[in-house]
Amino acid sequence: MEDDDQRVVDLVKELVHRLLCTSSQSNSQNPNASSFTPHEYNQALKYSLRILSSRMTPSIAADDSAMAESIKRRLATAGKSSEALTFADLYAKFSHKNGPGSVKNKWAVLYLLKTISEDRKVRKKQFSNRISNGFLDSALAGGLPTLFEGDELSGGSGGFGNSSVGRSTDGFADLKGSSENVRNLRGFSNLENEKNEDSFSGLTANMKKLKVMGDASSSLRAREHVEKRYNGGILVVSKDPENIRDMAYRDFADLIKEENEVTEVILVRDVLYACQGIDGKYVKFDEKADAYVLPDLIKVPRATRIMVRKLCELGWLFRKVKAYITESMDRFPAEDVGTVGQAFCAALQDELSEYYKLLAVLEAQAMNPIPLVSENASSGNYLSLRRLSVWFSEPLVKMRLMAVLVDSCKVLKGGAMAGAIHMHAQHGDPLVNDFMKRLLRRVCSPLFEMVRTWVLEGELEDIFAEFFVLSQPVKAESLWREGYRLHAAMLPSFISQSLAQRILRTGKSINFLRVCCEDRGWADAATEAAAAAGTSTGRGGLGYGKTDALESLVTEAARRIDKHLLDVMYKQYKFKEHCLAIKRYLLLGQGDFVQYLMDIVGPELSEAANTISSFKLAGLLESAIRSSNAQYDDPDILERLRVKMMPHNTGDRGWDVFSLEYDTSVPLNTVFTESVMSRYLRIFNFLWKLRRVEHALIGVWKNMKPNCVTSRFFVKLPHAVKLHLILTSRKCQVLWDEMNHFVSNLQYYIMFEVLEVSWSNLVKELEAAKDLDDLLAAHEKYLYSIIEKSLLGERSQNLNKILFTLFDLILRFRSQADRLYEGINELQSRTTDSSSQDKARLQRPSNKKPSEPGSWLGEGRKDLTRRAGEFLRNMGQDIDAIAKEYSSVFEGFISQLPIQQHVDLKFLMFRLDFTEFYSHLFVLHTCEPILCLVLAYLGFACIVLPLGRPFQFEKCTLLG
Amino acid sequence: MDPEATRTARDSLELVFHMSNILDTGLDRHTLSILIALCEMGLNPESLAAVVKELRRESPPSSSSPETVATPP
Repeated sequence: MEDDDQRVVDLVKELVHRLLCTSSQSNSQNPNASSFTPHEYNQALKYSLRILSSRMTPSIAADDSAMAESIKRRLATAGKSSEALTFADLYAKFSHKNGPGSVKNKWAVLYLLKTISEDRKVRKKQFSNRISNGFLDSALAGGLPTLFEGDELSGGSGGFGNSSVGRSTDGFADLKGSSENVRNLRGFSNLENEKNEDSFSGLTANMKKLKVMGDASSSLRAREHVEKRYNGGILVVSKDPENIRDMAYRDFADLIKEENEVTEVILVRDVLYACQGIDGKYVKFDEKADAYVLPDLIKVPRATRIMVRKLCELGWLFRKVKAYITESMDRFPAEDVGTVGQAFCAALQDELSEYYKLLAVLEAQAMNPIPLVSENASSGNYLSLRRLSVWFSEPLVKMRLMAVLVDSCKVLKGGAMAGAIHMHAQHGDPLVNDFMKRLLRRVCSPLFEMVRTWVLEGELEDIFAEFFVLSQPVKAESLWREGYRLHAAMLPSFISQSLAQRILRTGKSINFLRVCCEDRGWADAATEAAAAAGTSTGRGGLGYGKTDALESLVTEAARRIDKHLLDVMYKQYKFKEHCLAIKRYLLLGQGDFVQYLMDIVGPELSEAANTISSFKLAGLLESAIRSSNAQYDDPDILERLRVKMMPHNTGDRGWDVFSLEYDTSVPLNTVFTESVMSRYLRIFNFLWKLRRVEHALIGVWKNMKPNCVTSRFFVKLPHAVKLHLILTSRKCQVLWDEMNHFVSNLQYYIMFEVLEVSWSNLVKELEAAKDLDDLLAAHEKYLYSIIEKSLLGERSQNLNKILFTLFDLILRFRSQADRLYEGINELQSRTTDSSSQDKARLQRPSNKKPSEPGSWLGEGRKDLTRRAGEFLRNMGQDIDAIAKEYSSVFEGFISQLPIQQHVDLKFLMFRLDFTEFYSHLFVLHTCEPILCLVLAYLGFACIVLPLGRPFQFEKCTLLG
Repeated sequence: MDPEATRTARDSLELVFHMSNILDTGLDRHTLSILIALCEMGLNPESLAAVVKELRRESPPSSSSPETVATPP
């Protein structure tokens, strides 16, 4: 340390010597004669040491390349472009000199050269025209800044800067030791700030005088003592060497400035720092105020202060954005920031690096002067606070936007975040619009990538749950219905609901094909779609703002993939064939099969439910298939047909529990779900019951149809019995006919108006179906229409109940009729027996006792007649009871039928009441009692009360 | 000091001298080398420049004043 100091002193001595030598050499004819005295030398040395120990700081940051650039520019603006080039070349070489022996502090050297050169230039100029002034020069050179500029200017200090004035040792002694000097000055300035100004003006006045004198006799080196009254006391400033006084002023100016004023250059630098989130020398971040502020201690004009604060808004915004980025990046591995969040951060980071670039350029420009056309006019540094505010206007807008986005997106992620940013992008300002679009393109790229893979590959690459399609782990059969759904919160507003639905369905189709259908053909369809849409199947083909491209891609993909899916459903999985099979077997469309099945399982089903073996029924079903046209059907379809025994209660018959079932495997059970199948089961049960009733009625008809055997038998009966018998069987016939009319019409209606019409609609809609959803909807509609029209729906529960009561009545009638005809047959067989016995007796009359058989026969015939009469009477009564109940229930049915909303039920009504028999009957039935009542009441009223009382009529009508 | 370092130092000085000439500082090689050495020792270039300026300032008037004085007679 000591050595270093010593070395410095030595070097300075050497330097002073050299400098004095050169200066004296230049003006003395004799180079050997040393023109400077040791005294002068000592003074110069002390002076220079004092300068060196002063607290001068370079006003600009150390950056050698920027310095070189600045020098180059200066040369170039001075019109010495070739020299500028040479300089650049030299500098390049110089800067490459590294390692031992090279100059380390290159910046210092350059700065030194620059300052000296500027000084020289200025002095040359002064020689040519003595108008420039030293203070401005020094400000230009980046040396001591100007203070009290106006005074100095008015003083025309160019002259006095050059005038050499003699110096006095005692004067020098007064001022020797810069620290002492500083202390004096500081104390003085603190005490008397007001007077300060006055005294200075006085001082300058003196200096003016001095200058005049100096001009007049500059060679005389006049010594002058300037006495000044300061602060009541007397401070003697011996001012012979003008330089010393000059220095003192400068030091003083520096101090004053450091104390409470900041130059614009430094403020500009501070603002530039603050805008990078770094505290400057004066401008610092204040946690309390939550802003970058200039401390109150620093004295700057209010306007400057406001401007600094305005400019530093950028720094505040920058801090906010930066903090968000760091926070999310820190959070990233631990929490789910999400890919969109990451993209957002990356985009912000890019914007910030653009911003950094701008700041770097500004910083580099900060120390350069403004290039001017005229050489003589000097200018200040390029960047002032005002210029900075212009430069910052655009970044400020962007930074504000970013800060707003950061605020609004803090809690959001994924599609919701993209949507929120999109909402901000709806802006009329093209600058904002462009900026947001650029940002959104980055932010949305993961989202669009997800859409692309989802639509073309069916992959859901969404580990952070950001996509607007959610998947749920479900079984294969419910994959289509429940496997995926839209997540409304994550749907960005630039994707419409319908588009989102299409996107969802396309991906779902692919997944359905892959999981349920085990199909590989969709990949080709997807590639084709991508080719057709014109976007590459590679990554990054889509982006924000290309909604049209997205839409066309989705449309193409959806069209092809849905078509492929339907192809697979129709061709590979034979959807239509299965529908047809269900219609034929479950909806009893295959008549011969149903008839045969009814015939062979009928006896079995009459047993109690718990005694029936389903294996036996399965065997019967098998034989029914074999013996009907169903045998020619696809074995795959026939295999799926099963017998199903429903859970039964005690007392249930086989009829109640028997049903058929159609087994559907994986892709088909998306359509034929359990609920669908249970509805099919309900329809089957209804139709099966209807068939059974019809079957029963046909069975009765077999017995009761008149034939010659019975008619011959009737002839032989006694007259009373015969009459009774004919009457009863006639009743039975009439009732049968009525029932048959109803059942066959209902059957017809169900078969032709319901099943076939719905079926043909279904077929039409299946042809038109474009995707699986259409297909599902068509099937759903088919099933719904069947259920509604067959009175199985919610609204017709009442009617359905009545219908089943009617069926039960018919079945009861069947058993009654069976009993009747059994009885008749028995009677018949008895009579034939007795008549044959008669004949036998007639053939061999002498063999047996004549009394006994005769009496038996006489007794028997009588008894038979009596018993037959009794039986027939009972049966007649039973049948009457059934008929009565039937007609009342049927009346209910007919009256409720028109209440049903369904149009097609009108056809049923029309059929049932074709001859208007029932309507006439019921009108009579319903009106009769009321009419009687009204008439009776009217009569009563007429008798008891005077005629024409209007209120009585009202009452009547009310009653009516 | 190895010859390599000496050469580098000489080259550097030469380059600086050239630059100084371009910038028209009027400094000779010797002064320049002293100044570089001082810079290398960490002295503030601004104050160094000030020293050079101030000491020079002494001379030009003394060089110019004879002329100005000489001309009137």
